[in-house]
Amino acid sequence: MTYKVIGKRVKRVEDPRLLTGGALFVGDVNLPNMLHAAFFRSDYAHAKIKSIDTSLAKEIPGVVGVYTAEDMGEAWEPGPPLVSPPPTLEGVVFNSRRQVPLVKDKVKHAGEIIAVVVAESRYIAEDAVEEIYVDYEPLPAVTDLEKCLEPGHPLVHDDLDSNLAAYLVQNKGDYEAAKKEADLVLKRKFKLDRGAAVAMENRGIVVDWDQKNQHLMIWDTTQSPIPIRNGMAARLGLRTHQVRVVAPFVGGGFGPKIMMFYAEEMVLPWLTMKLNRPVKWIEDRKENFYATTQEREQVQEVEMALSKEGRILGIKQKIIHDTGAFDPYGLTTPLNTQSHSMGGYDVQNYNSELFVVFTNKIIVTPVRGAGRPQGIYVVERMLDIASKELKLDPRDVRRLNFIPKDAFPYNHEIIDQAFVELVLDSGNYLPAYEKALEKIEYDKFVQEEQPRLRAEGKYVGIGVVPFIETTGVGPYEGARVAVEPSGKISAATGVGTQGQSHMTSFAQIIAEELGVEVEDVSLVSGDTAEIHWGTGTFASRGAVVAGNAVLAAASDVRKKVLKLASKILETPEDELELEGGLVRVADIPEKSISLGELAVLANPFRGAVEPGTEPGLESTKYFGPAYGATAFGVHGMILEVDPETMMIKIHKYIAVEDCGTMLNPLVVEGQIHGGVSMGIGNAYYEKLHYDENAQLLNASLADYLIPTSAEMPHIEVYHENTPAPNNKLGTKGVGEAGAIPVPAAFAQALENALPDFNLEITETPLSPNRLYELLYKSEE
Amino acid sequence: MKVEGEHLFSGTQQQVWDLFRDTEVMAAALPGTKKMELIGENTYEAVMNVRVGPVVGEFSGQLVISNEDHPTSYTMTVDGRGKPGFLKGVGDVILTNQGENQTLMGYTGEVQIGGKLVAVGQRLIDTVAKSIISQAFEILDNALAERESAEAEGREAAYRKSSESDYAATVAKDLIKNVLKRTGSSEDS
Amino acid sequence: MENTFELSVTVNGTSYQKVIDPRTLLSDFLRNDLELTGTHVGCEHGVCGACTIILNGDPVRSCLLFAPQVHGQEIITVEGLGTVDDMHPLQEAFREAHALQCGFCTPGFLTTLVPWLEENPNPTEEEIREAVSGNLCRCTGYQHIIDAVKLAAEKMN
Repeated sequence: MTYKVIGKRVKRVEDPRLLTGGALFVGDVNLPNMLHAAFFRSDYAHAKIKSIDTSLAKEIPGVVGVYTAEDMGEAWEPGPPLVSPPPTLEGVVFNSRRQVPLVKDKVKHAGEIIAVVVAESRYIAEDAVEEIYVDYEPLPAVTDLEKCLEPGHPLVHDDLDSNLAAYLVQNKGDYEAAKKEADLVLKRKFKLDRGAAVAMENRGIVVDWDQKNQHLMIWDTTQSPIPIRNGMAARLGLRTHQVRVVAPFVGGGFGPKIMMFYAEEMVLPWLTMKLNRPVKWIEDRKENFYATTQEREQVQEVEMALSKEGRILGIKQKIIHDTGAFDPYGLTTPLNTQSHSMGGYDVQNYNSELFVVFTNKIIVTPVRGAGRPQGIYVVERMLDIASKELKLDPRDVRRLNFIPKDAFPYNHEIIDQAFVELVLDSGNYLPAYEKALEKIEYDKFVQEEQPRLRAEGKYVGIGVVPFIETTGVGPYEGARVAVEPSGKISAATGVGTQGQSHMTSFAQIIAEELGVEVEDVSLVSGDTAEIHWGTGTFASRGAVVAGNAVLAAASDVRKKVLKLASKILETPEDELELEGGLVRVADIPEKSISLGELAVLANPFRGAVEPGTEPGLESTKYFGPAYGATAFGVHGMILEVDPETMMIKIHKYIAVEDCGTMLNPLVVEGQIHGGVSMGIGNAYYEKLHYDENAQLLNASLADYLIPTSAEMPHIEVYHENTPAPNNKLGTKGVGEAGAIPVPAAFAQALENALPDFNLEITETPLSPNRLYELLYKSEE
Repeated sequence: MKVEGEHLFSGTQQQVWDLFRDTEVMAAALPGTKKMELIGENTYEAVMNVRVGPVVGEFSGQLVISNEDHPTSYTMTVDGRGKPGFLKGVGDVILTNQGENQTLMGYTGEVQIGGKLVAVGQRLIDTVAKSIISQAFEILDNALAERESAEAEGREAAYRKSSESDYAATVAKDLIKNVLKRTGSSEDS
Repeated sequence: MENTFELSVTVNGTSYQKVIDPRTLLSDFLRNDLELTGTHVGCEHGVCGACTIILNGDPVRSCLLFAPQVHGQEIITVEGLGTVDDMHPLQEAFREAHALQCGFCTPGFLTTLVPWLEENPNPTEEEIREAVSGNLCRCTGYQHIIDAVKLAAEKMN
């Protein structure tokens, strides 16, 4: 299908305000009479609270109140479970333990909140926090994923028999039978460690209870305003219309801002209703390291059975997944790991045993990639190791195993994060893979450049890794599109923006459908007053699920426009066209009427509305896919290692991306660039260091290093297009794609760069120090 | 964090032993110490101002001496907490006679640190701890000499106190020394 | 307040006199007292660069200064670079090259780069990478920012 506006590199509608300092972020909300909250957080990761003394804090002038769990009384209750376990699997164990607003008796991770101070300014509130004294009985911390399940180990939750949060097995075919046929059975253990999302904007919330109106206004840095509204109303015993949640411009999400509810989100509404004054809290960066959710820590034991030609006969896997102190987000992340552990390969036999464990570390919920990078990492590493063992070209091994083009839709026969069968809707993997090899000039590199550079004493290597990304999962999203009497278009959807360009990409869909300029569309994306139903921005689903809802609503408005215009212009609908904000007769362009005039006529002040019609040129529609749209991509890099310092320079980076129809290639490329930068961080720079007491040792941006412009290579992005068959736009998500394959490609390139060392990488993230240790060890 | 090291004192085992049990001397030797007193048998209470990079604040806690084998060894247990975090440590101290009027003090221990102190100050802790220890030894050396001469002269000993500015200067010096050491060693290799 | 400071400062060409708590951070003063919320605070320890402002012509981190330290001096914030209808060429270039996504770090990049471009009108990619290496961005991977700076340099020449 050829589009006029969709698929074009349209400049963003939201930019002028963001560029001139005029865009509203939660931190910018200042209300008359507003109070400020600051939190007293536990230094200990695991400790019983013996006593809390807030008396000195309360005496500080300007302090309005200091509250502990006890003060909350009946209002104290843990957060709701965001996601329950899959009901479709047998033998699932799931122990739901959720975060609490204020700790009552036992601290379960460092950073948990014990008391809150409310004061006339944040400065005073923080002074008062310094005057709170808590007497603890420290307990041994649970940190080790493997040891924590041993009998007699200290328990995070004393009411459970062990630290097991969940257990499930997923199976396809018969691995043990396949193994008997195998020429090679490989076994490896992998360690995948924790990182932080590090959105540049920390979290924040401003709440304002209007006693007379009985209405609660909430500005929140959330990726999911509608569920927050629904959950908050339920929690506070209010009707949904009594709560309005606005997620204005949000400064980056990357997953953790989906969490519901953070402790602070449970405490602040209670405070505003109790004190009858607006209350504001903006997280600082140190709190962000201690209180905002993190991800990626797993230990995996993987077995792969292969034929001597390199055909994968089966994969067996044991995953131990760290969920931190609580598991509000259910099994989403490890289910994604399972969904991606077969990659884009035709694997007939798969057995995966999952143990989710509680530890005394920060809560784990999805971070950009959400379990997928771990799955891709293990399958790609296993294929690299197998290629070496079988003395095969790693490219041939991939070529041999890709799911062929005519096998789609391809059923992986396990359950994915949406609890439906993991069906890969469409794909054409081999050409994308070959394109990547061609663009990175693989042959030329290994045949000419690498030998030349090696002769010069340079350690250069290449890594090329394909990956899938399950995207666009349900349940649904909605959109409302309306023509205003001015002829401009107003639209709303429930998926808030954290930088994904919703106000532009969705406007492009509407502009395409209604024949207006992109600038004439004003889209609100994070305000519950504008749309009642929806879930949120996560799982690379905005362009797929909300995008198609926007299309459905715009198409319906188009129908209404045509119907009314046909009557007024006395011309059959099929002879009309929408162009330049007008409806005109195709052959007689001067015979036309503007959308604005039609909008006025559709909402008459006098006379009767015809039976069976609705006023206005407006429509609200929903889109819910039966299963997701699976994107595909291949990333390749050429890197150089300095053997003295272990510092890395990436000389070339290419990404071939197939996300189906692109709404705006500029935006797609931006998403990939950002994803790759997080992936590079996950590969070599970013690791949250916890010590044996579950103390975080690098809780600042001076110590936790995210890539800067100096670490980032120039990224070449190339596109393939296999449209998704199950949605009209043919879109697939791309938001998380960039981050997924990078650690695997990086490991492959590193091994390739250091052939003199017997290096086999089975862990991520690495670092210069760690690489030095590995080389030193493998030299022995 | 592991702590270990040794220091040679000019004094007998008994003199060094006594030195370490003198709260006035110890309070003078440890920078930022606001209070140190014996509150029970072998139990001391201390309040100390700690400064590690951007992290500053008061610590209070207890120090308990056990496993005493007079005058050669004992075990020291420290448990402190304050606004910058918490600290818990156990260490063994051994005094060995190294000839006339020479006593070698060896110490090994394991310290657990938590809170802001490690979250933000982690990179500096090691150097800061070493600076505190080296400065303390310097002051203790002087104290030991002062004790001897005071005794000989039949007067009260007057100890030089460690000031926080001395301490800050020592830390800065040690940090620079560490950096130089590192650049130096990479040239060597 | 027992202890106050009477601050005079020029921001974006307007002079202000305000009585403030002397420990007020410059970033908080700009955001709360002057309601210039375009200056964003991302880390409060001088690493991320989101709070960068132009002080007497040089980019500085407003989270690392107390407001009284700028007494009698001249500041330009992102609001002073251009308006929605009349953007600075660098702001235009950022839009054209899609150099911002969530936009939170953007004001700091702009205030770092505007003075820098005046001194470096024909920068190479390597120089631009170095110039912005003290500003963190989590969305863009910096590539489109580099493109935008090149574009702005062309526009401004």
